[in-house]
Amino acid sequence: MKFLEDMDCAFPKNLQEALKLMADEKSRGRPIAGGTDLMVQWSSGVLPMPERAIDLSGLPELKGVSENTDSVVIGAAVTHAEMRRSPIVQVHLPSLAQAAATIGGAQIQARGTIAGSVANASPAGDLGPSLLITNGRVVVASKAGEREIELAKFFLGYRKIDLQPDELIVRFILPKIHAGCRESFRKLGPRAAQAISKVMGSYRGSAKGKEVKDFAVALGSVAPIPIRLPEFEQWIVGKEIGKKVLDEAEQRVAAMIKPIDDIRSTAEYRQWVSGRIVRGFLEELVAE
Amino acid sequence: MKTITRIWKVNGEEKTVKVPPMRRLLDVLREDLGLKGAKEGCGEGECGTCTVLINGAPMVSCLIPAGQVRDGTEIMTVEGLEKTEGGRLLQEVYADKGSAQCGFCIPGMILSSYALLSRNPNPDEAAIREAHAGNLCRCTGYQKIVEAVQAAARKWPGNK
Repeated sequence: MKFLEDMDCAFPKNLQEALKLMADEKSRGRPIAGGTDLMVQWSSGVLPMPERAIDLSGLPELKGVSENTDSVVIGAAVTHAEMRRSPIVQVHLPSLAQAAATIGGAQIQARGTIAGSVANASPAGDLGPSLLITNGRVVVASKAGEREIELAKFFLGYRKIDLQPDELIVRFILPKIHAGCRESFRKLGPRAAQAISKVMGSYRGSAKGKEVKDFAVALGSVAPIPIRLPEFEQWIVGKEIGKKVLDEAEQRVAAMIKPIDDIRSTAEYRQWVSGRIVRGFLEELVAE
Repeated sequence: MKTITRIWKVNGEEKTVKVPPMRRLLDVLREDLGLKGAKEGCGEGECGTCTVLINGAPMVSCLIPAGQVRDGTEIMTVEGLEKTEGGRLLQEVYADKGSAQCGFCIPGMILSSYALLSRNPNPDEAAIREAHAGNLCRCTGYQKIVEAVQAAARKWPGNK
């Protein structure tokens, strides 16, 4: 049995130093920032302990939230607490601010980071849906340079992301919500805090009266990765929201996803709740 | 075993530790510095009884590698509470209201109360419940803890 005490850790002072360590197999280590997933996974044996960790929590290049005309740029090591309290995130990415506020409790929100949540790539990662509805991109870096990937293509499969061994996630570029659009986040778990979600979802959309103009919707905990529902999005655009359409929407969402039974919930319940969540989103979208 | 030296301000006193970088802060506080107030409940960041304040923010010390805690960081454990006016007030109201039963959650719970009132001396009930959502208590049902925080808020230093 290995102990955390046996693991080495490097403390690079800036991104360049960190990328240099990652470039060489001999100095490479498992990137760690908040440690809210890794420390648990290592201690419990879910993940084998590596020889070395590389601490990214102090890198100035990975901190901070900023905005340009169209997008919000969030550094990889920005914490959930920083996101939920950021006026920029609250105004331009309300679903992400809401999702960050539901993760764990205050103690976890103060430590866990946006890139850590994405890199952990749990199907139940609470940020996934809020990121996907923005059509945003992630920037990763290696010693050789930067690479930009659509978030929709970054999640590859169960706990798998498109990241090479020498690469680090450095920032997220997330298009702002347009004027006249609405978005929000909803999650269902056994209790409000400190619970892993059974199902969670986010939407971004606009309506003219009762008619849906745009609609992006994403769900988490119903597939190996967070997913958008493109067929549903196409179907709902142009529809007038009323009881008949809502009933059909609920059925369609439930039929479209293939969740699994696990310790947290059943496939059948997840399908039903997903339909209800999307129904609620549509009601909210066209509400006065 | 490689070690790293860190200099922190623990409960107002400067402390130098020489520890393996990935040793949990909880173990450094309890074993190396003899501060047994923070408890280990779950060891997975779920229960909150190992909560300490890092530069004023509540964090679970069971998930923090000691090396990540930079030089100059201010750490407050339950032992440091009585050195502050707000902390002494919280001790009093927790006792008055009967907010502790078995007491195992209290070292973390009361630090979450202290962090909340330091940031927001006039929280509503929802804010109080949310600020303590990361601290599990299996005895009280939380009601008497909420009442204690409300009572402390009324007398909080700076709140007339």
